[in-house]
Amino acid sequence: MTTVFEPLGPALSVRQVLALERVLAGEPEVIAGASRLDRPVRWVHVAEAADVGVMLSGGEMVLTTGVLLAGDEDKQAEYIRSLHRAEAAAVVLGLGRAFPAPPDVMRRAAERCGLPMIVLHRPFPFAELTEEVQSRLVRRKFAAVSLSEAVRTALTGLITAGAPLQRLLDEVAQHSACPVVVTNLAHRVLATAGERPAVDDVLRDWERIARQAGGSEGDGWIRAELGGRGERWGQIMLCGYRGDTGVGRLLADRAAEALVLHRMLGNAAHSWEEESAQGLLTDLVSEVVPARQLLPRARAAGLPVNRRTFVPLVVRDGTPAQLDRLLRLLGLSGLVAELAGDATAVLLSLPRDQDAEALTEHFAARLRTEPGSGETVVAAAGPRTVWDDVPAGLREAQHVADAVADSSAALDLPAVVRLKDVHLRGLIRLLRDDPRVQSFAERELDGLLCERDGEEAALLAVLRTYLASGRNKSRTAQLHHVSRPALYRRLEAIQTRLGVDLDDFEQAASVHIALLAHDAQQG
Amino acid sequence: MSRVIRAALFQTAWTGDKESMIQVHEQAVRDAAAQGAQVLCFQELFYGPYFCQVQDKAFYEYAESIPEGAIVRRFQVLAKEHGIVLVLPMYEEEQPGVLYNTAAVIDADGSYLGKYRKHHIPQVPGFWEKFYFRPGNAGWPVFDTKVGKIGVYICYDRHFPEGWRALGLAGAEIVFNPSATSRGLSSYLWQLEQPAAAVANEYFVGAINRVGVEELGDNDFYGTTYFVDPEAQFVGEVASDKEPELVVRDLDMGKLREIRDRWQFFRDRRPDAYAPITAP
Repeated sequence: MTTVFEPLGPALSVRQVLALERVLAGEPEVIAGASRLDRPVRWVHVAEAADVGVMLSGGEMVLTTGVLLAGDEDKQAEYIRSLHRAEAAAVVLGLGRAFPAPPDVMRRAAERCGLPMIVLHRPFPFAELTEEVQSRLVRRKFAAVSLSEAVRTALTGLITAGAPLQRLLDEVAQHSACPVVVTNLAHRVLATAGERPAVDDVLRDWERIARQAGGSEGDGWIRAELGGRGERWGQIMLCGYRGDTGVGRLLADRAAEALVLHRMLGNAAHSWEEESAQGLLTDLVSEVVPARQLLPRARAAGLPVNRRTFVPLVVRDGTPAQLDRLLRLLGLSGLVAELAGDATAVLLSLPRDQDAEALTEHFAARLRTEPGSGETVVAAAGPRTVWDDVPAGLREAQHVADAVADSSAALDLPAVVRLKDVHLRGLIRLLRDDPRVQSFAERELDGLLCERDGEEAALLAVLRTYLASGRNKSRTAQLHHVSRPALYRRLEAIQTRLGVDLDDFEQAASVHIALLAHDAQQG
Repeated sequence: MSRVIRAALFQTAWTGDKESMIQVHEQAVRDAAAQGAQVLCFQELFYGPYFCQVQDKAFYEYAESIPEGAIVRRFQVLAKEHGIVLVLPMYEEEQPGVLYNTAAVIDADGSYLGKYRKHHIPQVPGFWEKFYFRPGNAGWPVFDTKVGKIGVYICYDRHFPEGWRALGLAGAEIVFNPSATSRGLSSYLWQLEQPAAAVANEYFVGAINRVGVEELGDNDFYGTTYFVDPEAQFVGEVASDKEPELVVRDLDMGKLREIRDRWQFFRDRRPDAYAPITAP
């Protein structure tokens, strides 16, 4: 169970102390420093010593009867100055034997220093006030420690339960009641949490915030570094935390500790960068969220989006890490993420004045020079200059990649394949779920699909290559590592089983279509 | 529409040998040119390991004469072929035993424009540069290239504001700062000093740092190459801290004029009062 704390407000101020019932009964009157009553009170201290300043460490409200100051105006003025030097929050003077009326020297000195000075017209035992204020202050400290412990326990529980990064951030956002953003060192937004409209507001302004070389705290922007083992790799930010800064810092520190632990345990299959890109590209493809609404997220994830041309690509064999490395090496901007079905999507963002198709060719050609990627095919959609068209482009690239999935070797495909290259294959892919197409494929290929002697799979493979290569017998023999006579025997067997003449164009075309449909259904 | 320079920086890791290192950089020229980059600067001592982690005279062999040496000639051909200005940080041999940490600048037509020799030479653990280099003595040249006015300030130089200023006074629009610097030592300065220099002198700075740990020592070179504008804003993202990366960015020279019109640092400076700075 999660304990939800109200964000703790700022520490008690001088004004709040004066409004306490016990204090009001003493008829307090502010005689100096009235504009500084919002100063926080860290502690309440009773002191009659003339040199009280040396005993203070700042933020104290000092209570006195002035018994040691009466009659010596120099001492009175010095007393006020020493409190000011020690950064006391305020001084409270109980009127009585020592000072029946507010002392003018002290009032003037306090006004000059800007030190709030209060007199009590009906003094009461100071112990009653210290007890009341002190217990409130202690309760606040205790609440902060409790909050710290509660957050730590909740986050540790989530980590040990194997929760993803997002779940951890949601928990932090619940406590902070403001947007929470995690970035890497390049200020790329890796994850966010909090109420969506507030998060979107932050992301909309992200470019300006992130590009500040220094980066400042203030206005409730609380940052904590993420790192360990002497290495820094990111930041977590509470954006616009409304409570006490000290408590916000404590929250940010607890969150940072948890995130570091989460990353060091390293049980996630993907890096945070990959997860972030994956979430974004998956949302784009699915169109669950309109593309326009995803624009701030894309920009914050580091994708340049102003005056750009977008080229959606899908690569079948190639890991996101490998493709991301290549993009960096080529100096191309883009997002890379694994989509469902073993395909990796790459969304290139290119300057408008560049030849998008030439750069896509360049990328694909360089990919083929990578070890083990000699035959890799990059399926590319047409370049999009409007962001709203990107989802359709991603689906187009996916479609092209699907259409050529199983046949790249036989087709001898170029490094980049586009919609215009997939021809009939693409159409069949689109129609693959139509029952009429399915029954057509079954009917045409019946002789090779029903198992009789175990040769069927091998014959089907030969048929596939033969048709894909444009009925090129020598290439088919070469690709299957068989002699020409052996190939003739297999083609003969295929024709016999299917009851067709593959030299007849229409019959061959019919079998080819059926085979494409069959393969599309399998894929 | 103001003038925009498409500029590039390349950070990479030591491949293990000089020839493959040169080839990696040749490929980077082609990759940058494919995107229309007009100028490209490599990392400090680009074709070698950062050998100053040790003091071994065997590495003197990495020095060659500029511009007569083979490497400059090789890149002059590439620059001409792709119409790109190249800044080549190299190990220069003026004559046997007289060696400098130098950058050669090649114009977009392949012609050699001149060189900058690093002035400030460090001598601290992991950066034993005094063993290898004489301090630079070729002044503060600004090269009037086809794309714009370019200065170079190499690695440790960047800690000294005076050279940045000299390049600004000489009219530099972009100053390249090729470096080799390691995580533990300088990372707290890396995104502070060059942006400050860009602000103080109202020009663009391109900062390049190599990546990875090399076999000669423990220095962990942290990359994070970037361009920064005269308002201390990074132009696009800062590069990876671990992987080789080509950084290609559009630098809007209109910004330079806008900032100089807003501030007037060059007008208001007081060289007449700075004599103590130049007193030896």
